[in-house]
Amino acid sequence: MNIYIHLPILIVVVSLVYSATRHDNWNKIVREALHWGVRMTTFLFVIGAILFVLSTFL
Amino acid sequence: MSSSKPTEPPPPPVKLDFVAAFLSYLIPGLGQLTQGRVRKGLLYLISLYALFFYGMYLGSFKNVYLPDYHPNEPTVNRLASDLYTRFQFVGQFPIGMAAWPAVYQYVVYDARDDGNPPLKGWMRAPSMEKINELQRDGDKTWDLGWVYTVIAGVLNVLVIYDALAGPAFREVKAAPPQGAPTP
Repeated sequence: MNIYIHLPILIVVVSLVYSATRHDNWNKIVREALHWGVRMTTFLFVIGAILFVLSTFL
Repeated sequence: MSSSKPTEPPPPPVKLDFVAAFLSYLIPGLGQLTQGRVRKGLLYLISLYALFFYGMYLGSFKNVYLPDYHPNEPTVNRLASDLYTRFQFVGQFPIGMAAWPAVYQYVVYDARDDGNPPLKGWMRAPSMEKINELQRDGDKTWDLGWVYTVIAGVLNVLVIYDALAGPAFREVKAAPPQGAPTP
């Protein structure tokens, strides 16, 4: 089974907890958590794509 | 030289809440719950325990432990050497009471108890053969699991600080301007 299916819980928890330690206002917590979630997902996707390209074509 | 902006008064100094910080160490979010920040406390409690125990589940519940690899050394050297050997536990320990069984197992460890280990083997250091088997026959989820438990522990350090001194960005309610009518 692909181990990447375990990533969503990590991204959600890290985004929410980190954002909650920075603000007390729930609107700000949710907005910042969404931003961090998108950033982390994009970062992981880019790294994964680079590794895929390297392992496939080199 | 004059500034056109009116100077804002500095926010009041933070009152450190060491009791809440300690409670948040014991159980993530407990300090926030006692401070009346219930939703935040529940968020921390559910999120961090979910991540920690999900990580343990991925590791077949055999990736949070402190091995006793240096039994003949003096106590301090023994602990330092074992922590160096299993450095992940330094990150897992801040999750609080959830990691204490591993400490208990380390203190009472006796290889002769393998047949009937204390706490039914919960967080007991697995044998080298078992670790090799998990890593050799698995699909990396054992390693992914301990990474999750370490991240949960390290995130709880942020939660402890939140209980101690509040969030990183404080919102200070602006005082009403002088001379303004009061309701």
